[in-house]
Amino acid sequence: MKMNHRWIARAGATLFALALLYPFTALFARIGPWQWGDDIRGPAMSSVRVSLLLTGLAMVIIVAVGTPVAAYIARCQTRERLLWQAVLLVPILLPPLALGILLTLAYGPYGTVGSWLEHFGVVMTNNATAFVSTQVYVGMGYYVLGAVAAFDAVPLMLQKQAALLGLTPLKVFLRVTLPLSRLGLAVALSIAWVRAIGEFGAVVVTAYYPAGMPVQLWVNLQSFGLPAVMPLLVVFLAVALPLPWLVHVLAQRRRHA
Amino acid sequence: MCLHSDGAMLKAHIIKKRRELNVDVSLELKKGRSLGLFGASGAGKSTVLACIAGIEEPDGGYVKLGDLQLFPPSLPLHKRPVGYLTQEPGLFPHLRVSENISFGIPRKLATDKEQIQWIEMLRDRLQLGSLWHAPAALISGGQARRVGLARMLARKPPLVLLDEPFAGLDRHLVRELIDDLVLWSRTLGFSMIAVDHQAEVLRRLCPQEVIALEDGKIIQRGDWDELCTSPATPLLRSLLAAL
Repeated sequence: MKMNHRWIARAGATLFALALLYPFTALFARIGPWQWGDDIRGPAMSSVRVSLLLTGLAMVIIVAVGTPVAAYIARCQTRERLLWQAVLLVPILLPPLALGILLTLAYGPYGTVGSWLEHFGVVMTNNATAFVSTQVYVGMGYYVLGAVAAFDAVPLMLQKQAALLGLTPLKVFLRVTLPLSRLGLAVALSIAWVRAIGEFGAVVVTAYYPAGMPVQLWVNLQSFGLPAVMPLLVVFLAVALPLPWLVHVLAQRRRHA
Repeated sequence: MCLHSDGAMLKAHIIKKRRELNVDVSLELKKGRSLGLFGASGAGKSTVLACIAGIEEPDGGYVKLGDLQLFPPSLPLHKRPVGYLTQEPGLFPHLRVSENISFGIPRKLATDKEQIQWIEMLRDRLQLGSLWHAPAALISGGQARRVGLARMLARKPPLVLLDEPFAGLDRHLVRELIDDLVLWSRTLGFSMIAVDHQAEVLRRLCPQEVIALEDGKIIQRGDWDELCTSPATPLLRSLLAAL
């Protein structure tokens, strides 16, 4: 690319980034002094802990369940694969609020599975279990679809070559498929993380307690107004952004290695 | 591995139906012998090799290697004692050259003195010393071909399948590699089936027996002299003209 072409492209990209970041100028809007007193800081930091711990747990479950499912789908014939992909798209497409209502009806005390679980003492509303399972539900589709694409990018011939060298299917997966798809998997995980940690619509219905950061933002807005929202928003960005950003830094390093 | 009662190590009848080509080929190979598959592009040579290796599944026929039934039913790839080198050597790009070569060596054999010496010999003969610690993703196509050959031979498979193994290598190295392969085949006792569109290369590599294919069928089989003196078709005659 010629020098002046590169500058034009860079200027276009800068304009795009400015448009994307413009809403964040509202952080400097004249809304009065930000509130970060004890009555706001305590619940806010508690919501940070809830979000980080429970979203982290949700990610562990998503990776443990989603990775083998994605590996299976990636090896399916086209028709079967399209069917699985349609199934995965359903929870992604649904508005989060509607998803929360459906989850509460299905896993709440009046749902078939919910009442059965309650029979064994497992309550699926307004607790950590409900919080994590909702996050797993909203993030799983993103992770699995991304992981399928990552596995697809590994040439099948390489995996067959590895098998011909005497490796069992599990060893081929661990020594060839997984290492060669790890960047794609990391990106899929970062998208699932972003989706889950920022989830409000579904979580507010299924697990108003314990409050994660998005719900706490809503509570702050309702109880104290915008001056109590802004500091938590900054904290949210500070704790939610590093993981997906780190993944992209690693991906970039790998590209230029 | 036990041989068939008639001494054949490999017995195969490959039937593979494709939209553009129907392959129907029978062949036998004795232990330590080599067989060349010769023909024009699209004659079905690579398909036969891929079916024997298990990379492709035949639509019919059978493949027996000694007392091992490879097809039918299709034996899983990791249970097939077959070395298979294609035009694209398929190196693992996330590993170094040395890791690629020792990739298929079981852990218990990795410290075996004889195994280590064999790999060192492959490294020296295939001129891989300077590349040994290089990432496989960064080496040239010709170097990758040599690494692929070393990786395949490192496990000492009883049957070696070579699909145009020397494309992209210079003539001098090709001549050396052929001499080495013929020698190793004799000393290690592995059998070899090779495909190459260059009659000269294939004749040096598999001097004992050749099968000529056209449109997925065998049109002639025997030794090279027979093939050259009375080729079955005008196309085969023109392909053999270089000899």
